Amino acid sequence: MAVKPDEYTDVPEHGHVGAPAHESDTVPLHINVSDEDRGGVGGFVDSWKSLLTGMKITGMRALGPDKTLRYPDEKVTLSPRWRGALVLKGVLGRDEIPIIRDESTKYNAFIDDLYKQERLPPCAGNCPVNVDARGQSYYLAEGMSAEAYELVRERNIMPGVLGRICHHPCETACRRNYYDEPISIRPLHRFAYEEYAKVREERVKVFKFTRDEKVAVIGSGPSGLAAALDLMALGYRVVMYEKEHSPGGALLSGVPSYRLPREVLSTEINSLVQMGLDLRVGIEIGKDVPIDHLLGEFDAVLIAAGLQTSRIIPVPGHDAQGVQGALDFLKGANWKGDAGVKGKRVMVIGGGNVAVDVARCALRVGATEVRLACLEGDQEMPCHPWEIEEALDEGVIAMCSLGPHEVVTSEGVVTGMKMRECLSVFDEMGRFAPNYGEGYTEVECDVVVFAVGTAPVLGDLVAGSDLELNERGILPVDGTLFTTAMPNVFASGEVVTGPGSAIGSIATGHEAATSIHRYLSGASLTENRIPRPVPVYEKYQQAALDGVEESRRRVEMPMAKPEARRVDFRQVELGITHLEALNEAARCLRCQSEVCVGCTFCARTCPDYAIQVQRVDDPGGRALTRYDLDLSKCSFCGLCAEQCPTNALCNTGQYELSFYRRDLMVFDRDEMLRDGGGTRATGADAVRAIESGEVQ
Amino acid sequence: MTLDIKERSWTTGSDGTPVEELVVNVGPSHPSTHGVCRVIAHVDGEVVTKAEPVIGYLHRGIEKIVENRTYLQIVPITDRLDYVGSMYANWAYCRSVERLAGIRVPERAEYLRVITCELQRIASHMMSLGSTGADTGAATMFIYAFDVRERIVELFEELCGSRLTYNYVRPGGVSMDVPEGWFDDILSWTDAARNSISQMDRLFFGNFIARGRLKGIGVLSAKDAVGWGASGPVARGSGVNWDLRKHDTYSVYPRFDFDVPVGSNGDAYDRARCRLFECYESLRIVEQAIEQIEPGPFKADGIPRLLAPRPGDAYDHIESARGSLGIYLVSDGSPRPYRMKVRSPAFCNLALLPLLAEGHTLSDLVIVLGSLDPVFGEVDR
Amino acid sequence: MTGFVGGAVYGLAGGLVIAVAALFGVWWERKVSARIQMRLGPTEIGPAGLFQTLADTIKLVLKEDITPRQVDRPLFRMAPLLVFTPIAMSLVVIPFAGGWVPLNTSVGMLFFVAVPSVSVIGVLLAGFSSGNTYATLGGLRGAAQMISYELPRTLSVLAMALLAGSLAPLEVMNRYEWWWTPATFIALIVYFISSIAELNRGPFDIPEAESELVAGYFADYSGIRWAIFMMSEYGGLVAASFFGAAIFMGGAQGLPGVFGVLLIFAKALVLITLMMLVKWTFPRFRSDQLLTLAWKVLTPMALVQLVIVGVILPWL
Repeated sequence: MAVKPDEYTDVPEHGHVGAPAHESDTVPLHINVSDEDRGGVGGFVDSWKSLLTGMKITGMRALGPDKTLRYPDEKVTLSPRWRGALVLKGVLGRDEIPIIRDESTKYNAFIDDLYKQERLPPCAGNCPVNVDARGQSYYLAEGMSAEAYELVRERNIMPGVLGRICHHPCETACRRNYYDEPISIRPLHRFAYEEYAKVREERVKVFKFTRDEKVAVIGSGPSGLAAALDLMALGYRVVMYEKEHSPGGALLSGVPSYRLPREVLSTEINSLVQMGLDLRVGIEIGKDVPIDHLLGEFDAVLIAAGLQTSRIIPVPGHDAQGVQGALDFLKGANWKGDAGVKGKRVMVIGGGNVAVDVARCALRVGATEVRLACLEGDQEMPCHPWEIEEALDEGVIAMCSLGPHEVVTSEGVVTGMKMRECLSVFDEMGRFAPNYGEGYTEVECDVVVFAVGTAPVLGDLVAGSDLELNERGILPVDGTLFTTAMPNVFASGEVVTGPGSAIGSIATGHEAATSIHRYLSGASLTENRIPRPVPVYEKYQQAALDGVEESRRRVEMPMAKPEARRVDFRQVELGITHLEALNEAARCLRCQSEVCVGCTFCARTCPDYAIQVQRVDDPGGRALTRYDLDLSKCSFCGLCAEQCPTNALCNTGQYELSFYRRDLMVFDRDEMLRDGGGTRATGADAVRAIESGEVQ
Repeated sequence: MTLDIKERSWTTGSDGTPVEELVVNVGPSHPSTHGVCRVIAHVDGEVVTKAEPVIGYLHRGIEKIVENRTYLQIVPITDRLDYVGSMYANWAYCRSVERLAGIRVPERAEYLRVITCELQRIASHMMSLGSTGADTGAATMFIYAFDVRERIVELFEELCGSRLTYNYVRPGGVSMDVPEGWFDDILSWTDAARNSISQMDRLFFGNFIARGRLKGIGVLSAKDAVGWGASGPVARGSGVNWDLRKHDTYSVYPRFDFDVPVGSNGDAYDRARCRLFECYESLRIVEQAIEQIEPGPFKADGIPRLLAPRPGDAYDHIESARGSLGIYLVSDGSPRPYRMKVRSPAFCNLALLPLLAEGHTLSDLVIVLGSLDPVFGEVDR
Repeated sequence: MTGFVGGAVYGLAGGLVIAVAALFGVWWERKVSARIQMRLGPTEIGPAGLFQTLADTIKLVLKEDITPRQVDRPLFRMAPLLVFTPIAMSLVVIPFAGGWVPLNTSVGMLFFVAVPSVSVIGVLLAGFSSGNTYATLGGLRGAAQMISYELPRTLSVLAMALLAGSLAPLEVMNRYEWWWTPATFIALIVYFISSIAELNRGPFDIPEAESELVAGYFADYSGIRWAIFMMSEYGGLVAASFFGAAIFMGGAQGLPGVFGVLLIFAKALVLITLMMLVKWTFPRFRSDQLLTLAWKVLTPMALVQLVIVGVILPWL
């Protein structure tokens, strides 16, 4: 938790050393240690007494119990923290890392178990669906891109999609943040997708439907697809209904194609269809098919319909011509490439990711000027920082700390927007309670888009069933089991969570699939169920990058030039090269695998420069070629073992350093790996080495 | 300053005839120079007429070395400043870094720092008291003091795996939490420690020979103590009630009830007894801290391993066993400090030696030197 | 010729006694100090480490006999012997058992008090010849100290001579009666303290003060010459203890032959142990305090003892 130094109230301002003596009056003298000697005969007697007292003390100690000293023999371990002999538990090229992979229904327990053993890598821990990014990096670095893709797909369903749009909490938690920069996990997803495209057709695996039960999924968004994949893997027959004519849900309608090209989405969904998903598009449940019909035909129904409508703040003039909701605007812009704003000035109200998407789309469909107004200050906007940064690069004008006051209209047509200064957004309790000031700003514009929230429209869908919506039009759903009022109806995705991230929706899809499986197989929904064992890792402060050479920096996703990208819907992220991807995957520290990956952090942190590390990074032949520890320089500060991100280098807690020869104090890789011994060389070892001619 | 002792120096005797002064070169390798101090003592018979301390034999250029080390790498180097009380330099340095980088330390870490540093104070004072005994020829006192110190060192070893250079305090907290049962170990030991310390008090400070050797030796007035920048037990022995833990309080010290022992004569006896009584106070603080400490994080979250505080400077000081130990850091925004300056109490206190030793016999010179309790790792840096 | 042979035999025997006494003394001191300091002392060589000192001696004998370049060579080499010889000679007059004393002379007590003091010359020479400030200061301190403590020591012994009416140690021992000890307790204390001072042992090890003068007058000695200094210290310790046991505590009186030897040995051992206890308990005096103690405390105490004896004497 960083605070400014002047807020650091624990320490008052400094006093001056050697303050005047009279200041000592402020604290009374509690103890005066001086004492006076007596003179004369009294002093003579005292002296003899003091001599006898002293002799009594030493005499009693002499007669006291034996104090025996135990000399440490070979195996004595004093304290497990003793900074003595160091050992490497394993090195790159010798051990393969454990891949975090399990059945979806057991995955939470698996993750929880790893977490309790402190064996969970932070990237997997911080991901809502616990994607094993460590395993992905491992496979990619070894040149096994297809395996990497399939590993990731097990959890996040569509690596190609998420590799473009995910807000990557994994990178936030990456332990490499501590040291320099996190691994670029998201671009690696995308890279794996692109590599997989070459072998996709031959690797398609069709699920066998081994069970009789059938499940209907309403909505083809990320959470519906996640649940469908899990259920198919378990052997259920899954039928998915989509009311639009192409699948994808919010990924299709909400995410602009400059971030997610349509063919990527369709490729990924087609893959699922090839695997056995029965996808029926153009069927709107509640309108074309009543839900009762589904309830009769299927053993379970999952509602993953998402959010369909935008909120519009009822300020004066909100019903004027030119006021739109964000979803309508995005739908128009995404599908038709025209939202009717060509040559117009657009005002976007809201500071979230959707608002930024709207603003960026507006530029692309021909708006002359795009402004974005939000309640929050420029440092606290709810959208991801990189999103607003890219938008600003493209020419969006952000107006912060302003709340909508009135839509200025002229004859029912928008001509401008009147904004009111916002002092604070949340009250002390952290609730949403904007506090407005007296400053007003008026901006001229032709179109106002409200991107201040979205809401589900489920009235038609649930009509005729036992499901009931609450007064705000929301379906009551259990937030951990994803059950509804009807035992065979489940819900997941943004219907449950409200507006959120794609990866969060997928997580609910997995959970809902687990619930459905338990329901259909007659098991208790709650028994032995670990809700979401994901520990939330803190965001680290950015480590200093000064002096960090290029080879250790992360690969940055190249972006198209702002001037070029603002005119059309081509992808703005250009993708990384094969070589970059391999290097990036090789940067992974393989946290918690207890294998030295040659990251050189120990060598870099050693104050005495006693360690030298080298490795090779050829795919299929990655190996630590050199690990030299020079104990003649070592000062036993223990920083290297403390720094080791994988805990491969550790103290053995044993004595060491009985050397006959100084040149024996340099330990190479194989000696460091000696079972339990490490650098605990003994004199006997040295003698043996000399006798056998290993050393001169 | 004359460093060449071969050069003969002549003074005028009481009857006007020229007298050759005897120049005794004490150190740098000498049993009671507490390291590698060299004192050039000009003696008239046994009486020292002039004593010049010559320092620099342990100069390792630490202040320069750290300019090429990252902020984390410096922590084990600060261990080598005051190697009798490594925890203090660790702590003072980390406080400066925290001030520079704006890091807030969790409460448990502050308590752990207080506990370890108070134990360190006892250990350091035991070293000083023991060597006061050794300086005066009471070898047993030295062993008894080291008996207490040894237990503390064992506790530290259990805590952080090191016996002398602990490398325990880190920017943002401490390097590891306490092992199981560590606090109980301390609590079960404090009474024995009190007993042992009071035995030492009776054995040594109660003894009329020791009193004769220490009393009236190296008398430092309160005015001089302040004027020469003395701090710690050296200043307190002279009646300057100046303890940063009370007067410029830091960390969680305001929560503890403890007293500041202060002498009134300013002689070697008062300085040594200040140290002895501080041990009791430290034990009190340790017991209170163990009572108050609560579970929690022992290190601030989210601190990068490679710190690069923004450009600026920071100074912070703590009360070490020797006095106010301050560390001044200048950052230029890179992961390595631009400059580090150590305000070392031992250096300031040692400057008093010529003032205090003059007029005493050669035997008392080592007592004066010992009563200033210099540690040359910190003096020479 | 027989005189020479006898002398040589006596000398060899004396040297052996001192060597064995030193060996034992060093071992005992190590053990006592170890117990005081919560240590074990030597344990490895011989039973309870008894031969540790022997091993040390062999090492010291085998070491190169170094004479530093800047020293006054003849004096430097001679000084250890000058310290050792008087101490060895003093053993001659100690009554070890009822009728057995190597040299039964009527001035035995005077001999014992006077002869060891000659070693002050050796101390002074050792300090002076080393040409080293520490050693010089040590030698000067030693001279001042040893001469000062002659007086109280002689006076304390004088009280016993008065009581016994003889200067022959054997006579004093034979005439010993139990009440002499309480009556001459002050003399015993003065003798005890001034013997320690005479031997330069702690808390009066000012000439060789380790923390101040490194090793004082024998700072430049090593090997066998250093060992001779140590041997003379322990020889003196044993001599002073046996003499004290004989004169002040009745020695071997009351038990015949070998048992008498054991008795005086036990009494001497008590004194030796006490000296070690004192050495390992107290800090060192400063030289001016030491002289103050000699002249202002011990000498008056010895005089008071003389007065007490003088008062008692007519009633006998």
